[in-house]
Amino acid sequence: MKTILIVFLKEWKDTLRDRRTLIAMIVVPLLLFPLLFGISSRMFKAQVETARSKTLRIGLISYGQASGLREMLLGREDVYLIEELTVDEGKRLVREDSLNGLFVLVPDFDQRIETLRQGALAFYYKSKERHGIEILRMNEILDAYRERLRRKRFDALRLDISLIETLAVEETNLSTQKEQIANMIGGFLPYIFIIFCFMGGMYPAIDLAAGEKERGTLETLLSTPARRFHILMGKFGVVTLVGLGSATISILGLYLGIRTDPDLPQEFLKSILGMFEVRSIIMVFLLLVPLSVLSAGIQLSISMLAKTFKEAQSQLTPLMMVVIVPAFLGLMPGMELSFWTALIPILNVSLATKAIIAGVSNPGLYAVVYFSSGVIAVLSLAFCARFFVREETLFRT
Amino acid sequence: MGIAICESVRFVVRLNERVRHMIEVQNVTKTFRLSRARKRETENRSRENILTAVSGLSFSCRPGRVFTLLGPNGAGKTTLLRILATMMRPTAGSVRVCGFDTVHQAAEVRRRLGFMTGDTGLYDRLTPTELVRYYADLFGLPRDRYLENRDSLFGRLGIHDFADRRIGKLSSGMKQKVSIARTMIHDPEVVVFDEPTAGLDVITARAIIDLIHDCRDTGKTVIFSTHIMSEVSLVSDDLAVIHRGRLRYCGDFKAFRSQMRSDSLEGEFIRILGETP
Repeated sequence: MKTILIVFLKEWKDTLRDRRTLIAMIVVPLLLFPLLFGISSRMFKAQVETARSKTLRIGLISYGQASGLREMLLGREDVYLIEELTVDEGKRLVREDSLNGLFVLVPDFDQRIETLRQGALAFYYKSKERHGIEILRMNEILDAYRERLRRKRFDALRLDISLIETLAVEETNLSTQKEQIANMIGGFLPYIFIIFCFMGGMYPAIDLAAGEKERGTLETLLSTPARRFHILMGKFGVVTLVGLGSATISILGLYLGIRTDPDLPQEFLKSILGMFEVRSIIMVFLLLVPLSVLSAGIQLSISMLAKTFKEAQSQLTPLMMVVIVPAFLGLMPGMELSFWTALIPILNVSLATKAIIAGVSNPGLYAVVYFSSGVIAVLSLAFCARFFVREETLFRT
Repeated sequence: MGIAICESVRFVVRLNERVRHMIEVQNVTKTFRLSRARKRETENRSRENILTAVSGLSFSCRPGRVFTLLGPNGAGKTTLLRILATMMRPTAGSVRVCGFDTVHQAAEVRRRLGFMTGDTGLYDRLTPTELVRYYADLFGLPRDRYLENRDSLFGRLGIHDFADRRIGKLSSGMKQKVSIARTMIHDPEVVVFDEPTAGLDVITARAIIDLIHDCRDTGKTVIFSTHIMSEVSLVSDDLAVIHRGRLRYCGDFKAFRSQMRSDSLEGEFIRILGETP
């Protein structure tokens, strides 16, 4: 035990002095979300504000019809109306982004309305993501005009406008707000910490195994009275702790990102913060422990087999893809914790976290998740230990 | 009373035997299973997937003497030294270091052994003090002995001036001194040097040769492997020539010199290797 502690303390000190590990373990998970939320929210807000306040350039070819629509458009301060156009010219100007939209009415529009038929209008626009809000605003104008015509028609016919509502539906969602939000972000949270758990532990795993081989320090370490298993346990402890730390910091970063986002609705913020209950935090943290052990076992084993730092790096990077798949499956709608999914590594952690956050009480399934994760974690440690005592692995040149 | 005296005499005789031969290598063979890629690399054209690194080696080393293991690259020197240092298990035969079996009493062997190679690396992010302390802890040295040994080594090697600087920022000569301090911190009875001067400049290599002389003068058993002829004359008391995993010569270095059929050590070495079937 003393030897494990000696190796652990040395490796811990060494690892914390490694800039790459510090960046992957602390800086990235801590700053990623506040920065991501801050920048994206600010950019989104700025874009929306620009699109909302922008004066719309709308072309209208009315053939002297629909004076109401024309008046409506002229009466708006946020619309610049262009009328002296042919259809082809108008279409060209829309394509060239000189017009935001073009309304072309049928020549008998007024007659159609008067004879209680449908008035027809062609609406030309150029669909682009950044034009979304502008199109929405033009549709709002058309909706308002449609509503005005409808009311006029119903008044002329002396009918109550509510007659067109044939079915009144009163929807009530009985899910708690916590459950609704957990469904939205519950899958995202484990996805984040699973990735950071593996990413954070990657550099120490490479440095403490393949790096040690490449530096030529492994031989001298093996020539001390320390048992190989104890040396491995010391290293294993560091990689596990770094993975665990990285995952925890990523959650902290997410929390900070949410807290510091000024544009998040207060009610939503309150519900999210309400999910960070002590009980949930402890339960999720207990899931992270076997996950970190599993990550350390896999990464150290691969690193041990590699001859050099670079080789280990190139072998461990694709591992992230393998990890992402079950973590991503946890995000899929309809994917829920069951006896069978509770047995699948990584996916079980993802689904269990989602359920814990939603406040779903299912101690039996949680026990299966903890048990299977624990077994897999121990197996990964045993697998790694088997590698570390083999001459073929240690002296592979 | 008589029985007690007899037991004491027997103990002293056993101790003397042990001390007389600090390293006893008996019929040691080491084979490796070759992977397909390794087989191609080693140009092993035989059908067998086995590579014999050392075959039936037997010799012994005494305290206060330097035993030089001379052989070309790939002769099996490193494998043999790794077996001595308990890093590898022999496929056949046995090795005893300070009377302890390298397979069954590996920890006892390692406790008494210092190991240094030419490509020994150090931990760049630690300071010399932290590194030496780490190894002292791994060797289970009590704090007072650690401090005493550290101060003595740091003083002799002139490490005090840079003892608290990160190793990554030291020159190669400084690093080599730290490496020596690391090897000697537990004051080992047996010191294994595996091509320790490989790739070093003349001054640093000289420091290593001085260290080997120091070890011999303080009664330690030194086993030194090299393929550099000039170093052989500088340090050797006993010599073993190894080629393709087999011993071609093993005995007193002076006797070797007197029996030489070539004009130079190098010529004699090549002649011996040339006789190898």
